[in-house]
Amino acid sequence: MPPDTPEPAGASRVAIELIDIRKAFGASDDQTTYAVDRMNLKIRAGEFFTFLGPSGCGKTTTLRMIAGFEEPTSGRLLLDGKEVTGVPAHQRNVNTVFQSYALFPHLNVGENVGFGLSVKGVAKEEIRQRVKAALESVHMAHAIVRKPSALSGGQQQRVALARALVNRPSVLLLDEPFGALDLKLRREMQMEVKEMQRRLGITFIFVTHDQEEALTMSDRIAVMSNGVIQQVGGPVEIYEQPANRFTAGFIGDMNLVEARVTGRSGDRLALDAAGSRFDLQSDLALQPGDRCTLAIRPEALHFVDGDAGPPIRFSGTLSEAVYIGTDTVYGLALADDSRLQARVRNSRDRSIPQTGEPGVVACAPSAIRILTQ
Amino acid sequence: MTAPRRGNLVTLALLAPSLLSAILLLAIPILIVIAFSFAEQDTYGGAKFGFTLTSYRELFQAIYLPIFLNSLQLAVVSTVICLLVGYPIAYFIALRAGRYAGLLLALLLIPFWIDFIVRMSAWMVLLGRNGTINSALVGLGVIEQPIRMIGTYPAVLVGMLYAFLPTTVLPIYAALSGLDGRLLEAADDLGATPLQSFWRITFPLSLPGVMAAILFVFVPAMGVYAIPVLLGGGKSIILGNLIVQLFLDFRNIPLGAAVSVVLLAISSVIIVCYMRVLRSVEEARV
Ligand SMILES: Nc1ncnc2c1ncn2[C@@H]1O[C@H](COP(=O)(O)OP(=O)(O)OP(=O)(O)O)[C@@H](O)[C@H]1O
Ligand SMILES: [Mg+2]
Repeated sequence: MPPDTPEPAGASRVAIELIDIRKAFGASDDQTTYAVDRMNLKIRAGEFFTFLGPSGCGKTTTLRMIAGFEEPTSGRLLLDGKEVTGVPAHQRNVNTVFQSYALFPHLNVGENVGFGLSVKGVAKEEIRQRVKAALESVHMAHAIVRKPSALSGGQQQRVALARALVNRPSVLLLDEPFGALDLKLRREMQMEVKEMQRRLGITFIFVTHDQEEALTMSDRIAVMSNGVIQQVGGPVEIYEQPANRFTAGFIGDMNLVEARVTGRSGDRLALDAAGSRFDLQSDLALQPGDRCTLAIRPEALHFVDGDAGPPIRFSGTLSEAVYIGTDTVYGLALADDSRLQARVRNSRDRSIPQTGEPGVVACAPSAIRILTQ
Repeated sequence: MTAPRRGNLVTLALLAPSLLSAILLLAIPILIVIAFSFAEQDTYGGAKFGFTLTSYRELFQAIYLPIFLNSLQLAVVSTVICLLVGYPIAYFIALRAGRYAGLLLALLLIPFWIDFIVRMSAWMVLLGRNGTINSALVGLGVIEQPIRMIGTYPAVLVGMLYAFLPTTVLPIYAALSGLDGRLLEAADDLGATPLQSFWRITFPLSLPGVMAAILFVFVPAMGVYAIPVLLGGGKSIILGNLIVQLFLDFRNIPLGAAVSVVLLAISSVIIVCYMRVLRSVEEARV
């Protein structure tokens, strides 16, 4: 897809479809652990899609299957609606930006960027122009005759990006592309890459274990753990409505409080959590005696003194206070030995007790999410 | 030059044994040969030390030119054959053999623990008129009469290949095994067919190994002696057996020494030029 004809807004053509994809390394038998397990996913054309998960959860393996460097053990992979299982990488209209950059050390920057066009037999003059344009778009045109070894990490990253984009792939894969950059450069590159993706309208599939990076850049995120997709959704949905304990615990800071259902009337559940009893509205099919987990963000909790304030309360002993600039994070040891974190904006609030003293924190019912898995 | 410091003295002391043996076993013999080349032949086949250019003048007569060319041709052809056979072997061991790589390298090197002349004799048995290969072919009915192999140019080339294969394979193997597999994935990703990946990535990055292999084969091949004599019957005269003939048959020590000096000079010039090129290739890589 040429970059000057972006997908119309709202287009929902499927660029990549993974159907029941599984990947095991080595011989597979009943005991096999799968690096990627029963993955079903549709990635839309023009989307900025991110795989997010802890180290070893199978992100790279997934990306490598899409690129064609690994074959799935079972399942089907469709690119632009066509089955590509068994199609070698060089025949897929997909390009990769490698974490290690993998620039060719014996070729200069221009030759590196022109490599993909050159092996496809594009005319010299066209290669020259497209290489120049691609390098300009990543602000590296001045380095066209330099060797990769003469470039800084950030510059090599830009060249790697240009080398992939100059081929006008329908899908660009990026495996932790900013992993080796320092924080400031990382932020800069995030902005630039996001902007570039918007401009070109190419489908970007991005891999990171940095949740902040995932939340700021992505249209949609797939949260992965142990080879399994835990949740797919937009950044706001992933952050505010985690589907299970893994996502809730992985994205941002989250208190996870074990609770027991003590009663049910209509859509209201009576709960007992760490010695506190309260009602919550829920349409989950929970019955008295069932267990569930309550997910509460630390910033949703604040200290209360007396009866004023939100209705849901937890009392315990203040065990620590960590000053982190605008806020302070307090640790509260509850009756059942579990702990809650409350993140409170620093002020001259008299109601906050000293460490070692008893304290009560409260939150609104809407700030609590009930998780059953 | 700065004044020698304690560290330099220690370094010198530690290097002394190697330096001494290098001087005794390398430099002094070379100096003796050079001295001989300027000596005069006496009537009884000995050499009278002095300074005369007689030998060199004689050497640059037209009859010796074909001998130089013979040697050069044998060295070039041997080097090319060694590369054509050695490169694929090195490639296979480095990139395809996986966990058998160590075993294959060992198999390649183990024969070289046996004395060179013994191995050449084995080749004479294999290639002889009533040797293993001929007997087998006649026995199988492939040919009716034994083929003459010993004493032919191809037999010499087989011997050269056999002798210099490890020195070809090892440097190329070293260069290829250091190749970053991710570069080949990147090439694949960018649309290069396996053949394009080879010629544009693998081969250029293995060039330093190829250059080293060429040096390790070409230079000794210029002065090779035993193989052409044993397997080729010594029919075409090359520098190696020319030197032997001049020393032993014609008792012309000064001329033999002069040929040796010229051979040494040619090899040195080749090595020096080569190192230059090699360095610029290395620099171009990084
Ligand atoms: N070539 C391989 N052979 C055997 N096991 C492998 C191979 N590649 C990956 N694995 C295993 O598959 C699992 C997933 O690996 P993968 O590299 O996809 O993780 P990841 O999510 O990319 O992790 P990271 O964030 O550390 O890069 C890991 O347990 C890993 O050990
Ligand atoms: Mg990875």
